[in-house]
Amino acid sequence: MVNAIKGVFITCDIPMAQFIVNMNNSMPSSQKFIIHVLDSTHMFVQPHVEQMIRSAVAEFRDQNSYEKPT
Amino acid sequence: MKNIQNEEYYLGDDPDEDSRDGEGEKMNTDFSKLELKPDHANRPLWACADGRIFLETFSPLYKQAYDFLIAIAEPVCRPESMHEYNLTPHSLYAAVSVGLETETIISVLNKLSKTKLPKDMIDFINASTANYGKVKLVLKKNRYFIESPFPEVLKKLGNDVVISKARFYSDPYGGDGFTVGKTSGELEAGPGELLNAAELAAAAEEKETHSFEIDPALVETVKQRCLPSELNYPMLEEYDFRNDNVNPDLDMELKPHAQPRPYQEKSLSKMFGNGRARSGIIVLPCGAGKSLVGVSAAARIKKSCLCLATNAVSVDQWAFQFKLWSTIRDDQICRFTSDSKERFRGNAGVVVTTYNMVAFGGKRSEESEKIIEEMRNREWGLLLMDEVHVVPAQMFRKVISITKSHCKLGLTATLVREDEKITDLNFLIGPKLYEANWLDLVKGGFIANVQCAEVWCPMTKEFFAEYLKKENSKKKQALYVMNPNKFRACEFLIRFHEQQRGDKIIVFADNLFALTEYAMKLRKPMIYGATSHIERTKILEAFKTSKDVNTVFLSKVGDNSIDIPEANVIIQISSHAGSRRQEAQRLGRILRAKGKIEDRMAGGKEEYNAFFYSLVSTDTQEMYYSTKRQQFLIDQGYSFKVITSLPPADAGSSLSYHSQEEQLSLLAKVLNAGDDLVGLEQLEEDTDGMALQAARRRKGLMSEMSGAKGFVYQEFNSGRHKSSGQQSRKPKDPTKRHQLFKKRFV
Repeated sequence: MVNAIKGVFITCDIPMAQFIVNMNNSMPSSQKFIIHVLDSTHMFVQPHVEQMIRSAVAEFRDQNSYEKPT
Repeated sequence: MKNIQNEEYYLGDDPDEDSRDGEGEKMNTDFSKLELKPDHANRPLWACADGRIFLETFSPLYKQAYDFLIAIAEPVCRPESMHEYNLTPHSLYAAVSVGLETETIISVLNKLSKTKLPKDMIDFINASTANYGKVKLVLKKNRYFIESPFPEVLKKLGNDVVISKARFYSDPYGGDGFTVGKTSGELEAGPGELLNAAELAAAAEEKETHSFEIDPALVETVKQRCLPSELNYPMLEEYDFRNDNVNPDLDMELKPHAQPRPYQEKSLSKMFGNGRARSGIIVLPCGAGKSLVGVSAAARIKKSCLCLATNAVSVDQWAFQFKLWSTIRDDQICRFTSDSKERFRGNAGVVVTTYNMVAFGGKRSEESEKIIEEMRNREWGLLLMDEVHVVPAQMFRKVISITKSHCKLGLTATLVREDEKITDLNFLIGPKLYEANWLDLVKGGFIANVQCAEVWCPMTKEFFAEYLKKENSKKKQALYVMNPNKFRACEFLIRFHEQQRGDKIIVFADNLFALTEYAMKLRKPMIYGATSHIERTKILEAFKTSKDVNTVFLSKVGDNSIDIPEANVIIQISSHAGSRRQEAQRLGRILRAKGKIEDRMAGGKEEYNAFFYSLVSTDTQEMYYSTKRQQFLIDQGYSFKVITSLPPADAGSSLSYHSQEEQLSLLAKVLNAGDDLVGLEQLEEDTDGMALQAARRRKGLMSEMSGAKGFVYQEFNSGRHKSSGQQSRKPKDPTKRHQLFKKRFV
């Protein structure tokens, strides 16, 4: 019988995929959210983590960009 | 100029003045209320109430307006068609010290402004310049005089408790006791070119000067007393060298082939404005001929000159420059470094030495003690200070206290410091006399036209995965520098420039591990801190002359001291955090103009003849630092082009690290290298680096700070501060555990 799991399909570039994988690894096993890593730029994750991933990625990018103090 | 008329009308205090003030706080950024003059199209400036001034560079009056603005305001940002300036108390102090008066500043500014000059700005200028420059300290016939055209100011100073003690009374029978003399008007007032002659003459009428003499031993206390924090009459220092017949003249002239360029001429005219020499700082980009300015200044003063440089290599270069540009005889110039201690002969001469030699606090050899003693006793006509931005303020104080000089001239290319101590220079040396606009010099063909590019190299999957791991936080830098995509981009660029254009390339890497890896893999010579002098000279000689050596790898040591005029391409693979100065200094290595002058001029054959590549691994800290570092150059009007497609996709296996196995073995190498190996190279006298580290705020627990967690107090890793707390707590890397323990520890 076919099992259907609801989830979110993510497409991103290679480094960001690594970032998400790393995030997943740092979680305790009960909270791991990656259902399947499809290839180096695609993955399938649980639906409720979408916002969390977005904000984590945004924070990561903010850390790496410099804004001129005014 | 004929289109601009009827000035008085705009200056007057109109009835609607009050309604504008009533606007309140909102005025800060909204300037739509400012009144445009009917002939605004002919005027080049926008003046805003908060002290900011915008200049249109396409205006026909640009040149004159620029000369004026650079004298009174601090340049903030100077891109191609619009410049931003800021009026600050310091910049106005500088303006007054080059001979501009408050009324002249306001009237010229009003004349150039498109809008009616905001009242706030007029008030600001009045308030800032009210006391600046009213008093001058003049050293005449070896006696110190306080001189001022305003007797009431002198009276106030003379009655001051501290100053009156230092004062010599020449007139015992009461009266003011001031000596009254006449000075002719300023010979060359800054805005002269844009005011008509009659107006200028009126502004610079012959003035009476009053003066009284003070005790030379108490000069320092008097000077301190006059600083803004106390009496607020900062004194200008001028040296009347033509009438100085106490100090012996030095027989030196500029050689006829030394033709100062227009901007060098202009900077010198600011210094020698009224026939006397003023102390101050001249800012010129690297490669624009700072040394000629220095030598010309010395040749004009024609007195003993003490020239201070940052290290032994530049001491040699300065000595060489003196001989190259002036008629000074070999026996009149001597070098004083730890290697060569030449005694000076005769009673006037040029001495070239380093800051360290003069300020050295420890015990000296007998020989150098004698030389220092001689320096101390001598009265120097000119104290010439190179690269003033790198020297710590403390060292300056020491140098200035040891050497007695009439006039101090500081030279630098980048008046930025990461420790924000740049304003100290205003009081230690003097105000900024002149600052050149880089883009104007490029247009004039005086410095190379550089194409700046930031090459974005995506991290490979494996490297990025390691980069993100917490236990690798110390290796982050090594990981993003050794990113195989970066290596390939670097290799591609070297190959392209060597083969297609026949260029000479410098590759900069701050990270020693990366430097050696890159240089070994690409089989190119490299120079770093530990490279011996002999080897260094040999490599550089080969780079300059040989056709086979076209690329050299340099560590931080190459930032300042190594002079390689042949190079015209820089590839930067790793850099020192966010140091704006380092970026500018590195760019300076290739700024010396090359090729034929007609090719270089705007519209010439080659649009760009020098290239500055900064290789950056995307999605890493490097992006942050890279943007920060570029700020200084961007403010000078440079723009960075972002390149994302290097190396081209079809480069394939012609470049190194194509296959994944190669990349993985490189990764293993990086990970296995010790932490000390992958760190930054530590050089002495790296004040910027210290400042960058010290200024970083880190988050931490109290227990860490008190030592309960084995926190290391002074860290020189370049990692992000947040991770530093975790580094000390992280478990030891299992791969590095000793064999014996590996078995036990699972």
